[in-house]
Amino acid sequence: MGLSVDERWDLIDKISKETVTFGKYKHTLKDAVGELTIKPLTGIPIAIAVLYGLWSFFGSFAGFFTDGFFVSLFDEHFLPWIQSVFPDKGGWLYYIFVGDPLADNCFEAFGVLTSGLFIAIGVVLPAIIAFYLILTLLEDIGYMPRLAVLIDTILHKIGLHGYAIVPTILSLGCNVPAVTASRILETRKQRFIMMTLLAIFIPCGAQLGIMEEVIPDTMGYVLIYLLIGYFILGFILNKIIPGKSPEILIDVPPYQRPMLRNVRRKMQMRIVGFFKVAIPFVLLGCAVVNILYKGGVIDWLANVMSPLLSGWFGVPDETVGPLIAAFLRKDLAVAQLSAIPMTSYQMITSVVLVSIYFPCVATFVMILKEGWKDLLGSVAVLAAVVFLYGGLIHLIGILLGVA
Amino acid sequence: MGEYTMAKLYFGILGIVTVLFGVSELAVTAGGTSFSWGILEIPNEMFRGGWGGFIVLFAGLFYLSSLKNFSEIHQFSKAIMGSIMIWVVAGLDIFAMITESIPGEEGWFNSLGGFLGTYAPPYTPAIILLPFSLVVIYYICKRKAS
Amino acid sequence: MKVLLMGHPNVGKSVFFNRLTGSNAIESNYPGTTVDYTKGYMLLENKDVEVIDVPGIFSLEPKDRAEEVSVKMLEEEKDAIVVCVFDASKIERGLYLALEIIEKGYPVIIALNMWDVATDKNIAIDVKNLEKILGVPVIATTAISGEGIAEVVSRIGEASPVKIRNIIKNAGD
Ligand SMILES: Nc1nc2c(ncn2[C@@H]2O[C@H](COP(=O)(O)OP(=O)(O)OP(=O)(O)O)[C@@H](O)[C@H]2O)c(=O)[nH]1
Ligand SMILES: [Mg+2]
Repeated sequence: MGLSVDERWDLIDKISKETVTFGKYKHTLKDAVGELTIKPLTGIPIAIAVLYGLWSFFGSFAGFFTDGFFVSLFDEHFLPWIQSVFPDKGGWLYYIFVGDPLADNCFEAFGVLTSGLFIAIGVVLPAIIAFYLILTLLEDIGYMPRLAVLIDTILHKIGLHGYAIVPTILSLGCNVPAVTASRILETRKQRFIMMTLLAIFIPCGAQLGIMEEVIPDTMGYVLIYLLIGYFILGFILNKIIPGKSPEILIDVPPYQRPMLRNVRRKMQMRIVGFFKVAIPFVLLGCAVVNILYKGGVIDWLANVMSPLLSGWFGVPDETVGPLIAAFLRKDLAVAQLSAIPMTSYQMITSVVLVSIYFPCVATFVMILKEGWKDLLGSVAVLAAVVFLYGGLIHLIGILLGVA
Repeated sequence: MGEYTMAKLYFGILGIVTVLFGVSELAVTAGGTSFSWGILEIPNEMFRGGWGGFIVLFAGLFYLSSLKNFSEIHQFSKAIMGSIMIWVVAGLDIFAMITESIPGEEGWFNSLGGFLGTYAPPYTPAIILLPFSLVVIYYICKRKAS
Repeated sequence: MKVLLMGHPNVGKSVFFNRLTGSNAIESNYPGTTVDYTKGYMLLENKDVEVIDVPGIFSLEPKDRAEEVSVKMLEEEKDAIVVCVFDASKIERGLYLALEIIEKGYPVIIALNMWDVATDKNIAIDVKNLEKILGVPVIATTAISGEGIAEVVSRIGEASPVKIRNIIKNAGD
């Protein structure tokens, strides 16, 4: 009863001949400028400029709020106040909620109400707002498909195609929506590669924000390690996983002026999402790590894990605490690392480890929703990657004489 | 053809200057000490000097590549893009100044003197190029009108 | 009664959905923004009617997980009225999907969205004639400004299943 594909197109031809007339259309200046952003020779420098803009805005905006105001608000006013008014100095509750009574800054206090609130509100929130503002603008203007076209060839080498840039960039904000966005990839193989790469190698906005604050000088190396890892692992997975990676034709919509209404609504949704998902986990993470410290679990684990941590990876045993926190939140973990005295080699390595070693719970649950088999696969890949890549970084450190 | 001789000359010179600025930013960053001359200051910083310098260099190349057949729409769009790239770098340099100028060292806000002091010269190459890059707007309007 | 929004990716379904229901489905200018369904309600003749926004699809044969969601939704909601959202500047593509849905026997109403873009590109569409040939309501809309949305709502009731035979006959003369 249905029409065949050809019959349907014939019918459409007839209908459109009768109803549609295409008038003359001359290329406008807007089209010409748009074309430049998509041709490789001109498009790649432009993409590099866009990335520069994103980064520079991110740094200035977050720095304005965090270094300009929140640091002194928290360290000079809030911390001394809560240290003095919280009852029962030396007790359990004090330790969990306020942390070290002698700390003079919120990074080193470690309490739920001190480090926890400062990290969530003082550092990560401004970073998230800055990042999402730019991301939302890029989305609404219509830049993403252009980026997809530009990067298509490279991503084919890792079994994906240009469109995989969409989940990748969303992931720089938060891995959670990025995992669902990988549904736009065609085959199971591609989705698996994408989710695994996201979970392992893409740092989220919260983590970027905290790195910008605590390790601004060495952050570049961390990102380079992550980027290289993304491509190496993608390349390997593409070779060993059976399945197809089809070609696609990328549809490029015209540029549009972003609408304030939509930008505002999306920003609001994303920030509310941050408050609902991220803040509870940061606070919970602080509490859990403190309880484990107090119970002696962390010291015990540090001892047990010592061969792996200081032996294989070349990082201090104390990093075990942050590694546990990283199950809950990566931003918290990086902040806790920054309070441990380390050489810059150790800092780079341990931050890379924290990034790659396990997706945070929220991401974990999202991947689980996409299918438990994929999740098991991802975790297996992850374990191998952490072990080997961590060892490799240590080896590089030894060869360079810094480890 | 004659109509755009002026424009070609202008963007030719601007292009060369921009390329030179871009190259010197890269050289200064590679060299390792910052450079200052008159109102010009080239920061020695991987991010602003290196990455930013690379973009300024390309902005210059965009200008230069637009010269041939300048009146043709696709060629002219390259000059526009050159200017846009300068606006990105300069705009964010200015944004960085603004965010630095407001908070104070001690106390919440900067003193008036400190606030204004942030905006005093020397400036980065992109900021110096900014006014000259705006000329492209004149040509966009001129095109629209005709 | 339920209303299902169907169409190619990036034609403005989510904008449409938000206009109809006052919800907050994510709208972005790239195909593949919506990857799961969203349900909302609109008021039609004093009754709450469920409206469903789904990922964009090219045809009823899904290529990826997001498209599977849409096709499955269409199959599950047998008694839904389908609002086919087109990009008016690419009307052939829209027609392909609309015909497929009509052939399945769904009552269909067509929104020629992005009408402003089509106008800018000097594409003229004879809406009345298109409506006559297809036998279903066809309305020009610009979802971002809200133009035509009210008319779509008021004519949802007119949607009824049509036979493909009739369309072929109408297109013939
Ligand atoms: N000019 C114009 N733009 C529109 C119109 N309707 C929607 N848009 C824009 O088109 C883009 C896509 O809109 P969405 O609603 O996200 O598209 P969608 O159909 O839901 O796309 P998917 O979820 O990817 O299937 C957005 O940038 C809208 O602002 C319109 O009538 N005119
Ligand atoms: Mg949508």
